[in-house]
Amino acid sequence: MDESPFQIDTRGEFAFPENHRFDAGYGLTEATIDYICDAKGEPDWVRAFRKDALRRFREMPMPTHWAPQGINDLDFDKIRYYLAHGTAPYKSWEDVPDDVKRTFERLGVPEQERAFLAGVDAQYDSETAYNNMREELSKQGVIFVNSTEGLRDYEHIFRPWFGKVIPVNDNKFSALNHAAFSGGSFIYVPKGVKLSQPLQAYFRINSESMGQFERTLIIADEGAELMYMEGCTAPKYDSATLHSGVVELVALKGAKIQYVTVQNWATNVYNLVIQRGLAMEDAEIRWIDCNIGSGLTMKYPAVVLQGRRARGEVVSISLAHSGQLQDTGARMIHAAPDTTSNIVAKSISIGEGRASYRGEVNVLKGMKGCKNNTECDALLINPSSRTDTYPAISVNGNASAVQHEASVSQVDEEMLFYMQQRGLTRAQAMSLAVNGFINDLVKEFPMEYSVELRRLIDLEMEDSIG
Amino acid sequence: MSIEEAFALAEAEAKLEQALADNKTRFDNAVLPNRYNEDWRFGRPNKFAMALAETLQRNANCHGGASVQHAGDSAVPVALAANDDLRQTEMLMPTIGSDALLGLHLKRFGNGYALYIEEDTKEPIRLTYKTSGLYTPSTFIMVAPGVKAHVIEQYCGTGACTMFATRNIQVAEGAELMVELNADVDAGSYMVITNIQNMGGKVKHLTELRGEWVREETIAEIYTPDADVQLYSANRLAGNQVLDQHTRQIHHAGGSSSNLLYKNVVDDNATAIFAGNIYVAPAAHHTDAYQSNRNMLLSDKATIHSLPGLEILADKVRCSHGSASAPMDDEQLFYLCARGIPKHEAQLLVADGFLADATDKFRGNIQTT
Repeated sequence: MDESPFQIDTRGEFAFPENHRFDAGYGLTEATIDYICDAKGEPDWVRAFRKDALRRFREMPMPTHWAPQGINDLDFDKIRYYLAHGTAPYKSWEDVPDDVKRTFERLGVPEQERAFLAGVDAQYDSETAYNNMREELSKQGVIFVNSTEGLRDYEHIFRPWFGKVIPVNDNKFSALNHAAFSGGSFIYVPKGVKLSQPLQAYFRINSESMGQFERTLIIADEGAELMYMEGCTAPKYDSATLHSGVVELVALKGAKIQYVTVQNWATNVYNLVIQRGLAMEDAEIRWIDCNIGSGLTMKYPAVVLQGRRARGEVVSISLAHSGQLQDTGARMIHAAPDTTSNIVAKSISIGEGRASYRGEVNVLKGMKGCKNNTECDALLINPSSRTDTYPAISVNGNASAVQHEASVSQVDEEMLFYMQQRGLTRAQAMSLAVNGFINDLVKEFPMEYSVELRRLIDLEMEDSIG
Repeated sequence: MSIEEAFALAEAEAKLEQALADNKTRFDNAVLPNRYNEDWRFGRPNKFAMALAETLQRNANCHGGASVQHAGDSAVPVALAANDDLRQTEMLMPTIGSDALLGLHLKRFGNGYALYIEEDTKEPIRLTYKTSGLYTPSTFIMVAPGVKAHVIEQYCGTGACTMFATRNIQVAEGAELMVELNADVDAGSYMVITNIQNMGGKVKHLTELRGEWVREETIAEIYTPDADVQLYSANRLAGNQVLDQHTRQIHHAGGSSSNLLYKNVVDDNATAIFAGNIYVAPAAHHTDAYQSNRNMLLSDKATIHSLPGLEILADKVRCSHGSASAPMDDEQLFYLCARGIPKHEAQLLVADGFLADATDKFRGNIQTT
């Protein structure tokens, strides 16, 4: 192990020595913000904006009255707020430990992405691989850049919506992100353009990779359609302990946005992400969300249904191992008549893992004809696993229908016995049962993700059942 | 007394002392409900909890109520004043975010009844509490092993009165208890904290509540396998009434079961809040628990907030909850109207039928000889 540049822990998470060109050091001060602005060459209004957000961040209280206890352990002074690529040490595929290679092979991650995930960026030629697609996109007038470029080069498009869906004073972590954001994608799809291929963060890996305080803003103009995917199923090591992203979606009249996230950070990571979409008349926003990694995840994708007949949907899968708390859920704000929403959340708790559903459905005053359906199912694998459900449903007026159903169950012993009788090992039987539990949701994910997800569950079950 | 019994008694006493010691600082440290208190979410604590606390503090020496009981031969009623055991029981009561208010109630301890029910009740035992001012009674119901009992509690208030009640219910092994709580405080406010301790019996609990502001906190704790608790509530709200209901179904032991059905019909500008939680303790395997909140909204200004919850720390459980809110079914109305029933009466009938689901289930199976 000593010769290898990697360090691996028992779960196959791995690290390698870092050497960042930009490092703002620990803690968040005005000087940190100046450092970030200088490093990124940002306009003055962004600098002022960040400093204002920092002030608000300091003033705002932690959401301790409702949030999971684990959030109290977060020490904002022990976090590095800006790390940027630069002179990563040269590594080749041969240097990647066998364990990690095996995981990638089992997951079926494509060779190029494997190399990227293992940190072998020197070998990864993303430019050529995706060049054709980028050309195609720009021909259609699609803007697909990172947050720095977005605010610098396309200010007239992105500034009017920047921080409008999730305002700076929304909560403490929103203010934090507004102060320290870096990375993420800014996307604009012009009127009527329907993208047949999903957009992926992989496309522009050459610039700034997934940031710690990722900032994503997607605007789908009238009648536009797109699918965006971020994250990956492979275990991804990250030295930063706090991820506090902000994702804003704007679907104008008749537009459709699907946002797919698969998150598998290491367990030392706090994953506190704010995701919210604004759906105008006849628009549709779907969040398809899968949380497998991180020690504490707090993530409640939201849709504000702002226009008539707008539609929102959240499909969520979470998997909590020992030492993990997946506090996930969904929010639906019905702010216009005849809006509909659907939430389907499934969670699996393994070992001493804890999976929680926390949701909000709100039909505002005077809204007629709104409908919501919420289903939460939890599966407990071991006797010490834990699951919670905390929905909050508010309905104003007598012209809307809202229903919520949640259930908790475990894998049926008889089912396992039946499969073991027919020659499957207990782990195989268990993974088959668990895959069956989330099968209808996995189908919602794009093909390659769903295949990876299934294999990942096989792996997780092998570890936990033995 | 055998040596084993003496040991058990000494152990129980040591446990009680420890619990009281742990509890000592509870009321000193408690703060009045504010907007950061999650158990008062949507409950407008700055308005209602503050008003209740002020009334209690301002009228420290006022006990403006009367109570009547018809216990028959099956129960022994006990006076509360100067009964330290019962005071300690109230001191150890759990609340749902209202420790500070319970502290204020304790300072006024002494009104109400304790019933030791040692024989099957032939007729329901009736407890009636009345006030037009401020009244803070405590009720204790203890049902002996194997006994079948039926208790009806009524809280009547007139005018802008304030009633704040606590109820401790203990059910021993093999006992069966049906208990109805019927509160109508008119234009006044009513708060009740109930703690049900089930040591192996069957409990059916029904609340029917009406007032300008009503808050119910019901905590059912289940300690043995085979114990069963069923909680029902059926309420009609109109005008500017606010009903704030909080429940806990706490399963300390596996193999036990609980069921909850809370139904509300909400009209005019009224608000109904329901926040329930099923807690299954670690190792309380094979628990069977259900929770359901159903609301019928009759006006475009009516509001409901529903927060059903689950916290499951054990395995091999069957737990689920459901919440649904919808307007009245037009087809049912049409059916009645088509048979010549005026629309308004038809609406009342449909609403009654909706609520009767809960009351019928409550009156269902337990026989009270």
